Amino acid sequence: MAELHIIGQIVGASGFPRSSLFCKWGVHTGGAWHLLSGLREGQTQVDCPQASDTAFWSHPIDLHYATKGLQGWPKLHLQVWHQDSFGRCELFGYGYCHVPSSPGHHRLRCVTWRPLGSWQEQLAQMFVGGGPQLRSPDVIYTGADRYRLHTVAMGTVELELGIILRHFDKHGVES
Amino acid sequence: YAMATNNPSVFLVMINGQIEGANFPEYDDLYCKYCFVYGNDWAPTSGLEEGISQIACRGQGTQPALVWNFPLEITFKSTNPFGWPQIAVSVYGPDTFGNDVVRGYGAVHVPLTPGKHVRTVPMFVPESTSRLQKFTSWLMGRRPEFTDPKVVAQGEGREVTRVRSQGTVTISFNIVTKDMKKLGYDATPSEALSAAEARTPSLAHPL
Repeated sequence: MAELHIIGQIVGASGFPRSSLFCKWGVHTGGAWHLLSGLREGQTQVDCPQASDTAFWSHPIDLHYATKGLQGWPKLHLQVWHQDSFGRCELFGYGYCHVPSSPGHHRLRCVTWRPLGSWQEQLAQMFVGGGPQLRSPDVIYTGADRYRLHTVAMGTVELELGIILRHFDKHGVES
Repeated sequence: YAMATNNPSVFLVMINGQIEGANFPEYDDLYCKYCFVYGNDWAPTSGLEEGISQIACRGQGTQPALVWNFPLEITFKSTNPFGWPQIAVSVYGPDTFGNDVVRGYGAVHVPLTPGKHVRTVPMFVPESTSRLQKFTSWLMGRRPEFTDPKVVAQGEGREVTRVRSQGTVTISFNIVTKDMKKLGYDATPSEALSAAEARTPSLAHPL
Protein backbone atom coordinates (compact mmCIF):
# COMPACT_ATOMS: atom_id res chain seq x y z
CA MET A 1 0.00 0.00 0.00
CA ALA A 2 1.36 3.40 -0.93
CA GLU A 3 0.59 6.55 1.01
CA LEU A 4 0.11 10.18 0.05
CA HIS A 5 0.24 13.22 2.33
CA ILE A 6 -1.24 16.53 1.21
CA ILE A 7 -0.11 19.30 3.59
CA GLY A 8 -0.76 22.93 2.74
CA GLN A 9 -3.36 25.65 2.58
CA ILE A 10 -5.91 27.43 0.42
CA VAL A 11 -4.16 30.80 0.43
CA GLY A 12 -6.82 33.09 -1.04
CA ALA A 13 -8.54 34.38 -4.16
CA SER A 14 -8.13 37.33 -6.49
CA GLY A 15 -9.68 38.70 -9.64
CA PHE A 16 -13.29 38.45 -8.49
CA PRO A 17 -15.66 41.40 -8.96
CA ARG A 18 -16.15 41.83 -5.22
CA SER A 19 -14.35 40.89 -2.02
CA SER A 20 -16.03 39.39 1.08
CA LEU A 21 -15.51 35.89 -0.29
CA PHE A 22 -15.45 32.39 1.15
CA CYS A 23 -14.67 29.04 -0.40
CA LYS A 24 -16.27 25.61 -0.05
CA TRP A 25 -13.72 22.94 -0.95
CA GLY A 26 -13.55 19.19 -1.16
CA VAL A 27 -11.20 16.43 -2.37
CA HIS A 28 -12.52 13.69 -4.64
CA THR A 29 -10.67 10.40 -5.20
CA GLY A 30 -11.21 7.14 -7.05
CA GLY A 31 -12.24 3.83 -5.49
CA ALA A 32 -8.70 2.61 -4.76
CA TRP A 33 -7.99 5.51 -2.36
CA HIS A 34 -8.79 5.44 1.34
CA LEU A 35 -8.67 8.48 3.60
CA LEU A 36 -6.73 7.63 6.77
CA SER A 37 -6.74 11.01 8.53
CA GLY A 38 -7.83 14.56 7.90
CA LEU A 39 -10.96 16.31 6.72
CA ARG A 40 -11.73 15.82 3.04
CA GLU A 41 -13.95 18.88 2.74
CA GLY A 42 -14.54 22.17 4.45
CA GLN A 43 -15.49 25.79 4.20
CA THR A 44 -13.21 28.75 4.77
CA GLN A 45 -13.97 31.90 6.75
CA VAL A 46 -15.37 34.96 5.00
CA ASP A 47 -12.61 37.48 4.35
CA CYS A 48 -13.15 41.17 3.64
CA PRO A 49 -9.69 42.55 2.87
CA GLN A 50 -8.79 45.93 4.29
CA ALA A 51 -6.29 47.16 1.74
CA SER A 52 -5.76 44.68 -1.08
CA ASP A 53 -8.13 43.16 -3.63
CA THR A 54 -7.01 39.61 -2.74
CA ALA A 55 -9.14 37.80 -0.18
CA PHE A 56 -6.91 35.72 2.14
CA TRP A 57 -8.18 32.56 3.82
CA SER A 58 -5.01 30.61 4.82
CA HIS A 59 -7.22 27.56 5.27
CA PRO A 60 -5.07 24.57 6.36
CA ILE A 61 -5.32 21.25 4.53
CA ASP A 62 -3.78 18.09 6.01
CA LEU A 63 -4.83 14.80 4.40
CA HIS A 64 -3.36 11.31 4.65
CA TYR A 65 -4.43 8.82 1.96
CA ALA A 66 -3.54 5.17 1.41
CA THR A 67 -3.98 3.68 -2.04
CA LYS A 68 -3.84 0.39 -3.91
CA GLY A 69 -3.72 1.96 -7.38
CA LEU A 70 -2.83 5.07 -9.34
CA GLN A 71 -6.26 5.65 -10.90
CA GLY A 72 -8.52 8.25 -9.38
CA TRP A 73 -5.65 10.49 -8.22
CA PRO A 74 -7.13 13.10 -5.81
CA LYS A 75 -8.75 16.19 -7.28
CA LEU A 76 -9.43 19.31 -5.24
CA HIS A 77 -12.66 21.10 -6.20
CA LEU A 78 -13.73 24.56 -5.07
CA GLN A 79 -16.76 26.83 -5.01
CA VAL A 80 -16.10 30.51 -4.37
CA TRP A 81 -19.04 32.38 -2.86
CA HIS A 82 -19.62 36.02 -2.06
CA GLN A 83 -21.38 37.03 1.17
CA ASP A 84 -22.83 40.52 1.23
CA SER A 85 -23.47 42.73 4.25
CA PHE A 86 -26.98 41.31 4.65
CA GLY A 87 -25.64 37.76 4.91
CA ARG A 88 -26.91 36.58 1.51
CA CYS A 89 -24.61 34.22 -0.38
CA GLU A 90 -24.05 34.37 -4.12
CA LEU A 91 -22.04 31.92 -6.21
CA PHE A 92 -18.96 33.49 -7.78
CA GLY A 93 -17.15 30.55 -9.33
CA TYR A 94 -16.48 26.85 -9.63
CA GLY A 95 -13.03 25.40 -10.17
CA TYR A 96 -10.95 22.28 -9.68
CA CYS A 97 -7.33 21.21 -9.91
CA HIS A 98 -5.56 17.87 -9.58
CA VAL A 99 -3.48 17.43 -6.47
CA PRO A 100 0.17 17.45 -7.68
CA SER A 101 1.68 14.01 -8.17
CA SER A 102 5.33 14.88 -7.51
CA PRO A 103 6.77 15.42 -4.04
CA GLY A 104 7.71 18.85 -2.73
CA HIS A 105 6.15 22.27 -2.50
CA HIS A 106 3.77 23.47 -5.20
CA ARG A 107 2.15 26.85 -5.71
CA LEU A 108 -1.06 26.39 -7.71
CA ARG A 109 -3.40 28.87 -9.33
CA CYS A 110 -6.84 27.37 -9.88
CA VAL A 111 -8.99 29.15 -12.49
CA THR A 112 -12.72 29.44 -11.89
CA TRP A 113 -15.84 29.87 -14.00
CA ARG A 114 -19.49 30.67 -13.46
CA PRO A 115 -22.50 29.37 -15.41
CA LEU A 116 -24.02 31.99 -17.68
CA GLY A 117 -27.78 32.11 -17.97
CA SER A 118 -29.97 33.53 -20.72
CA TRP A 119 -29.84 37.28 -21.37
CA GLN A 120 -32.94 37.79 -19.20
CA GLU A 121 -31.26 35.94 -16.34
CA GLN A 122 -28.10 38.02 -16.79
CA LEU A 123 -30.10 41.23 -16.66
CA ALA A 124 -31.89 40.13 -13.51
CA GLN A 125 -28.58 39.10 -12.01
CA MET A 126 -27.19 42.60 -12.55
CA PHE A 127 -29.94 44.09 -10.41
CA VAL A 128 -30.90 41.42 -7.91
CA GLY A 129 -27.93 39.06 -7.77
CA GLY A 130 -28.22 35.29 -7.67
CA GLY A 131 -27.84 33.50 -10.94
CA PRO A 132 -27.76 29.89 -12.16
CA GLN A 133 -25.93 27.24 -10.14
CA LEU A 134 -25.04 23.65 -10.90
CA ARG A 135 -27.57 21.12 -9.69
CA SER A 136 -24.92 18.54 -8.93
CA PRO A 137 -21.36 19.57 -8.05
CA ASP A 138 -19.71 16.61 -9.85
CA VAL A 139 -19.68 18.59 -13.07
CA ILE A 140 -16.98 20.76 -11.47
CA TYR A 141 -14.41 17.97 -11.64
CA THR A 142 -15.71 15.66 -14.40
CA GLY A 143 -15.87 16.36 -18.07
CA ALA A 144 -18.86 14.16 -18.76
CA ASP A 145 -21.88 16.41 -19.17
CA ARG A 146 -20.34 19.77 -19.92
CA TYR A 147 -21.35 20.26 -23.54
CA ARG A 148 -24.64 21.87 -22.57
CA LEU A 149 -23.04 24.46 -20.29
CA HIS A 150 -22.32 28.07 -21.23
CA THR A 151 -19.90 29.68 -18.77
CA VAL A 152 -17.98 32.89 -18.11
CA ALA A 153 -14.52 33.15 -16.55
CA MET A 154 -14.12 34.47 -13.01
CA GLY A 155 -11.07 35.00 -10.76
CA THR A 156 -8.34 32.61 -9.58
CA VAL A 157 -7.81 30.79 -6.30
CA GLU A 158 -4.27 30.40 -5.02
CA LEU A 159 -3.18 27.24 -3.20
CA GLU A 160 0.08 26.11 -1.64
CA LEU A 161 0.28 22.32 -1.41
CA GLY A 162 3.13 20.21 -0.11
CA ILE A 163 3.18 16.57 -1.23
CA ILE A 164 4.89 13.66 0.56
CA LEU A 165 4.80 10.21 -1.04
CA ARG A 166 5.55 6.94 0.72
CA HIS A 167 6.42 3.58 -0.79
CA PHE A 168 5.53 4.68 -4.32
CA ASP A 169 9.06 3.83 -5.48
CA LYS A 170 8.78 0.34 -3.94
CA HIS A 171 5.94 -0.36 -6.34
CA GLY A 172 7.96 0.94 -9.27
CA VAL A 173 6.15 4.25 -9.62
CA GLU A 174 8.25 7.15 -10.88
CA SER A 175 7.05 10.66 -9.92
CA TYR B 1 21.50 12.49 18.94
CA ALA B 2 23.22 9.35 17.73
CA MET B 3 23.86 10.16 14.08
CA ALA B 4 23.92 6.56 12.91
CA THR B 5 20.64 4.67 13.27
CA ASN B 6 20.02 1.51 11.25
CA ASN B 7 16.29 0.97 11.86
CA PRO B 8 14.72 4.25 12.90
CA SER B 9 11.13 4.36 14.12
CA VAL B 10 10.86 8.14 14.20
CA PHE B 11 12.00 10.90 11.90
CA LEU B 12 13.19 14.31 13.04
CA VAL B 13 12.46 17.77 11.66
CA MET B 14 14.82 20.53 12.82
CA ILE B 15 13.62 24.08 12.32
CA ASN B 16 15.89 27.13 12.47
CA GLY B 17 14.46 30.42 11.45
CA GLN B 18 13.21 33.82 12.41
CA ILE B 19 10.13 35.95 12.34
CA GLU B 20 11.77 38.68 10.29
CA GLY B 21 9.14 41.37 10.54
CA ALA B 22 5.75 42.56 9.43
CA ASN B 23 4.00 44.85 7.01
CA PHE B 24 0.98 46.58 8.54
CA PRO B 25 0.46 49.85 6.68
CA GLU B 26 -1.85 51.34 9.30
CA TYR B 27 -0.29 50.27 12.59
CA ASP B 28 2.97 50.75 14.48
CA ASP B 29 4.52 49.71 17.84
CA LEU B 30 3.66 46.07 17.29
CA TYR B 31 4.77 42.87 19.04
CA CYS B 32 4.03 39.30 18.09
CA LYS B 33 3.43 36.00 19.87
CA TYR B 34 4.04 32.66 18.20
CA CYS B 35 3.29 29.07 19.10
CA PHE B 36 3.69 25.80 17.23
CA VAL B 37 0.56 23.71 16.62
CA TYR B 38 1.02 20.04 15.74
CA GLY B 39 -0.82 16.69 15.62
CA ASN B 40 -0.86 13.86 18.14
CA ASP B 41 1.97 11.96 16.46
CA TRP B 42 4.40 14.85 16.91
CA ALA B 43 6.44 15.90 19.94
CA PRO B 44 9.02 18.65 20.39
CA THR B 45 12.38 17.30 21.52
CA SER B 46 14.27 20.55 22.01
CA GLY B 47 13.80 24.27 21.57
CA LEU B 48 11.00 26.63 22.45
CA GLU B 49 7.39 26.00 21.46
CA GLU B 50 6.22 29.55 22.00
CA GLY B 51 7.49 33.05 22.56
CA ILE B 52 6.76 36.79 22.66
CA SER B 53 8.82 39.27 20.68
CA GLN B 54 9.94 42.80 21.49
CA ILE B 55 7.79 45.84 20.59
CA ALA B 56 8.96 47.22 17.26
CA CYS B 57 8.55 50.55 15.51
CA ARG B 58 8.75 51.17 11.80
CA GLY B 59 12.06 52.53 10.58
CA GLN B 60 12.64 55.78 8.75
CA GLY B 61 13.17 55.95 5.02
CA THR B 62 11.21 55.42 1.86
CA GLN B 63 10.28 51.77 2.61
CA PRO B 64 9.74 51.72 6.36
CA ALA B 65 9.88 48.14 7.58
CA LEU B 66 8.79 46.79 10.92
CA VAL B 67 11.55 44.42 12.05
CA TRP B 68 11.53 41.84 14.85
CA ASN B 69 14.39 39.52 13.80
CA PHE B 70 12.92 37.08 16.34
CA PRO B 71 14.67 33.67 16.45
CA LEU B 72 12.86 30.34 16.05
CA GLU B 73 14.65 27.16 17.07
CA ILE B 74 12.85 23.88 17.61
CA THR B 75 13.21 20.20 16.75
CA PHE B 76 10.29 17.78 16.44
CA LYS B 77 10.18 14.00 16.30
CA SER B 78 7.29 12.15 14.70
CA THR B 79 6.08 8.83 13.32
CA ASN B 80 3.65 10.30 10.78
CA PRO B 81 3.61 13.40 8.54
CA PHE B 82 -0.08 13.90 9.40
CA GLY B 83 -0.36 16.82 11.82
CA TRP B 84 2.78 18.48 10.36
CA PRO B 85 3.60 21.47 12.60
CA GLN B 86 2.22 24.89 11.85
CA ILE B 87 3.40 28.14 13.35
CA ALA B 88 0.50 30.29 14.59
CA VAL B 89 1.38 33.98 14.92
CA SER B 90 -0.63 36.75 16.57
CA VAL B 91 0.30 40.42 16.34
CA TYR B 92 -0.73 43.01 18.94
CA GLY B 93 -0.41 46.76 19.17
CA PRO B 94 -1.83 49.83 20.96
CA ASP B 95 -5.05 51.53 19.87
CA THR B 96 -5.78 55.26 20.14
CA PHE B 97 -6.49 54.96 23.87
CA GLY B 98 -3.36 52.94 24.64
CA ASN B 99 -4.99 49.53 25.12
CA ASP B 100 -3.38 46.39 23.72
CA VAL B 101 -5.50 45.11 20.86
CA VAL B 102 -5.00 42.30 18.37
CA ARG B 103 -3.91 43.44 14.92
CA GLY B 104 -3.79 40.06 13.20
CA TYR B 105 -3.78 36.29 13.44
CA GLY B 106 -2.18 33.99 10.92
CA ALA B 107 -0.71 30.52 10.53
CA VAL B 108 1.41 28.62 8.04
CA HIS B 109 2.77 25.08 7.83
CA VAL B 110 6.46 24.66 8.53
CA PRO B 111 8.01 23.81 5.10
CA LEU B 112 8.14 20.11 4.25
CA THR B 113 11.49 19.97 2.47
CA PRO B 114 15.03 20.58 3.68
CA GLY B 115 16.52 23.92 2.74
CA LYS B 116 15.87 27.61 3.03
CA HIS B 117 12.31 28.89 2.67
CA VAL B 118 10.63 32.27 3.12
CA ARG B 119 6.94 32.54 3.84
CA THR B 120 4.76 35.67 3.79
CA VAL B 121 1.78 34.98 6.05
CA PRO B 122 -1.38 37.10 5.66
CA MET B 123 -2.81 38.34 8.97
CA PHE B 124 -6.55 38.77 9.66
CA VAL B 125 -8.73 39.97 12.52
CA PRO B 126 -12.22 38.75 13.40
CA GLU B 127 -14.90 41.22 12.31
CA SER B 128 -17.47 42.62 14.72
CA THR B 129 -20.95 41.28 14.07
CA SER B 130 -22.67 44.67 14.06
CA ARG B 131 -21.83 48.34 13.75
CA LEU B 132 -22.89 48.95 17.35
CA GLN B 133 -20.50 46.28 18.56
CA LYS B 134 -17.77 47.77 16.40
CA PHE B 135 -18.29 51.19 17.98
CA THR B 136 -18.46 49.88 21.56
CA SER B 137 -15.35 47.81 21.11
CA TRP B 138 -13.49 50.83 19.69
CA LEU B 139 -14.59 52.85 22.73
CA MET B 140 -13.82 50.16 25.32
CA GLY B 141 -10.60 48.91 23.73
CA ARG B 142 -11.83 45.32 23.69
CA ARG B 143 -11.80 44.03 20.12
CA PRO B 144 -13.16 40.65 19.06
CA GLU B 145 -10.42 38.13 19.82
CA PHE B 146 -10.01 34.40 19.53
CA THR B 147 -10.03 32.77 22.97
CA ASP B 148 -7.27 30.39 21.87
CA PRO B 149 -4.73 31.57 19.26
CA LYS B 150 -4.32 27.94 18.11
CA VAL B 151 -7.78 28.13 16.50
CA VAL B 152 -6.19 29.90 13.57
CA ALA B 153 -4.27 26.74 12.67
CA GLN B 154 -7.41 24.59 12.42
CA GLY B 155 -9.76 24.18 9.50
CA GLU B 156 -12.96 23.20 11.32
CA GLY B 157 -15.41 25.77 12.61
CA ARG B 158 -14.33 28.53 10.26
CA GLU B 159 -17.60 28.58 8.35
CA VAL B 160 -19.21 31.10 10.65
CA THR B 161 -16.34 33.53 11.14
CA ARG B 162 -16.07 36.82 9.28
CA VAL B 163 -12.59 38.29 9.15
CA ARG B 164 -10.69 41.20 7.69
CA SER B 165 -7.17 40.67 6.36
CA GLN B 166 -4.96 43.67 7.00
CA GLY B 167 -1.23 42.93 6.91
CA THR B 168 1.45 40.27 6.48
CA VAL B 169 4.24 38.73 8.55
CA THR B 170 7.43 37.42 6.92
CA ILE B 171 9.04 34.28 8.37
CA SER B 172 12.17 32.57 7.06
CA PHE B 173 12.92 28.91 7.76
CA ASN B 174 15.93 26.61 7.44
CA ILE B 175 14.77 22.99 7.59
CA VAL B 176 16.79 19.82 8.18
CA THR B 177 15.12 16.41 8.27
CA LYS B 178 16.55 13.13 9.50
CA ASP B 179 15.47 9.59 8.56
CA MET B 180 12.45 10.57 6.50
CA LYS B 181 13.90 8.67 3.52
CA LYS B 182 14.74 5.64 5.69
CA LEU B 183 11.10 5.41 6.73
CA GLY B 184 10.03 5.52 3.08
CA TYR B 185 8.87 9.13 2.87
CA ASP B 186 9.71 11.06 -0.27
CA ALA B 187 9.32 14.80 0.06
CA THR B 188 12.09 15.98 -2.25
CA PRO B 189 11.13 17.44 -5.62
CA SER B 190 12.43 15.35 -8.54
CA GLU B 191 14.66 18.08 -10.09
CA ALA B 192 16.59 18.42 -6.84
CA LEU B 193 16.97 14.64 -6.63
CA SER B 194 18.33 14.20 -10.17
CA ALA B 195 20.71 17.17 -9.73
CA ALA B 196 22.10 15.62 -6.53
CA GLU B 197 22.56 12.24 -8.20
CA ALA B 198 24.39 13.85 -11.12
CA ARG B 199 26.82 15.52 -8.69
CA THR B 200 27.67 12.37 -6.71
CA PRO B 201 27.34 9.34 -9.01
CA SER B 202 29.67 7.15 -6.92
CA LEU B 203 27.46 7.01 -3.81
CA ALA B 204 26.05 3.55 -3.24
CA HIS B 205 22.39 3.57 -2.17
CA PRO B 206 21.67 0.78 0.32
CA LEU B 207 18.02 -0.16 -0.13
